[in-house]
Amino acid sequence: MSTNPSSSGTPMRFLTRNLSLPVLVTWLIYVFLLVPSLVVIPISFGTSNELVFPPQDWGLDLYRRALDPAEGWLSAAGRSTMLGILATAIALLMGVPAAYGLSRSRFPGQKALTFMLMSPIFAPTIVVALALYLYFATLGMTGTMVALAMSHAVVITPFILVTTLSGLKHLDRNIENAAMVMGATRLQIFFHVVLPALKGSVLTGGLFAFLLSFDEVIVSWFIARSDQPTLPVKMYSSIQWEISPVLSAISTFLVAITVVGSVVAAFTSSAETDGI
Amino acid sequence: MTTPLLRRDGRTRKMLNRLGFGSFLLPLTLFMLLVFCLPLIGVIRTSICDGDCSLVAYSDFATGKLFHRALTNTLSIGFITGLVSVTCGYFVAYHLSRMTARRRRLFLVLVMLPFWTSILVKSFAFTVILGTDGIINNALQAVTGTDIVIPMIFNRAGVIIGMAHWLIPFAVFPILSSLLSQDKALRDAAEIMGARPWDIFWKVTFPLSLPGVIAGGLMSSVIGMGSFVTPALLGGRRDMMMANLVDFYVREALDWRMASAIAVILVLIALLILSLAAWLRQRQERGAVA
Repeated sequence: MSTNPSSSGTPMRFLTRNLSLPVLVTWLIYVFLLVPSLVVIPISFGTSNELVFPPQDWGLDLYRRALDPAEGWLSAAGRSTMLGILATAIALLMGVPAAYGLSRSRFPGQKALTFMLMSPIFAPTIVVALALYLYFATLGMTGTMVALAMSHAVVITPFILVTTLSGLKHLDRNIENAAMVMGATRLQIFFHVVLPALKGSVLTGGLFAFLLSFDEVIVSWFIARSDQPTLPVKMYSSIQWEISPVLSAISTFLVAITVVGSVVAAFTSSAETDGI
Repeated sequence: MTTPLLRRDGRTRKMLNRLGFGSFLLPLTLFMLLVFCLPLIGVIRTSICDGDCSLVAYSDFATGKLFHRALTNTLSIGFITGLVSVTCGYFVAYHLSRMTARRRRLFLVLVMLPFWTSILVKSFAFTVILGTDGIINNALQAVTGTDIVIPMIFNRAGVIIGMAHWLIPFAVFPILSSLLSQDKALRDAAEIMGARPWDIFWKVTFPLSLPGVIAGGLMSSVIGMGSFVTPALLGGRRDMMMANLVDFYVREALDWRMASAIAVILVLIALLILSLAAWLRQRQERGAVA
């Protein structure tokens, strides 16, 4: 009867009347979230020596300066890239087998061990930074690439654990059991069965670990030599002391990397969020 | 072939397998013990023993004015940003939860992009946007024709804006997952019973999403309390937080003992809040069973 259209019509009107304000607020929050990442892009194409938005003249001066070896941005970026690769390699080499060991065995104290391996995520970064600074200072290793790579590995390994563990959860245990019945050793199973199947999550985990390391500022601020800064450390001191327009070119470069990372993240994480 | 032999064979095999798992876990465990746990123990040790052994750093902390301010700053900024992040995060999470999965994947990029954007890029951007000669103030002056300047940077407002921007995604994810796990039939039932959308939201959707809200709030508060970059770059001198104080004592005062003591206290605060979160979740789960 007529109840159907009216009952579906009233909530509709309520929806538009009551929810328009929340939706508006939501869009304002989206804008707030996006603007800082996007505003650096037009500024980076300005030419003046002052930060103006929108720029008066357009040009690539700031990029030329960012790429000028004398400014040191290029070498800092190179250092961060190398550091990221090293730290990610260390984290993958230890993290992926550890995740496999955690997911496929039961032993007393397992919860405590898992908590210990994950705890760099929960600990305030400044505390981790201070701890590693004091530690490497006592060992006389502050400022070395080895100390930096190990410090970054500590910070990013938990993320490798998380991504690998979630990948392992989706893996069919029967395939491993079949391999074991056929006489494969644990090591053979790991290398010939598990690792190939995990390729995807190991790759995304590695990508995020690299981005985290590339972006890491607090630990590096404590450990890196001040005359050999990583890219984030150089940015940090630059924002702190003199806000150079060159930063907008560097930032645009970083945002470009981020766009790739966040698109990948959205498409990999959505599988989990949808599953819930 | 005797049975004992077979059994022993099975046992050794089992043992080997177990050792196999050990060898998978051993490298990382050793690494973390050596490069994470040992350094942390070093911090605790340094906070008590640096040359001589005493609790002087802690008693200084308990009585000092500077420390008192850093502690109140840390707690209040952490609490306020947690609140702001959860409020903003709820709007976003609710919006995302009412979409089709395909559309949500697209919109999640809007949350992921700021999540993955370097905190330094954001800090730089916020100095350009919020500064006295920044985009907002310039636009305001152009529109009003006055030379009005709203101070939004190098003060508490700057810290809160910058930190909320950083922490909103951390609040969105737990809230979104608790909203998505709700049974839609409950809302349908409420609607059939004549509840209006607003009532459905406040009496069904919101209470059911509380675990996510609490998790998101505590998480963003804890992360906010440990933050270092945002207060250093967007805050004023009076907004120094405990993390900045650690930096100050390492770099300028060269007092490792004090820096370590502050770090220990910061960890204790974080642990306290995290265990509160764990306790709340446990209570929630027990309530759900009962």
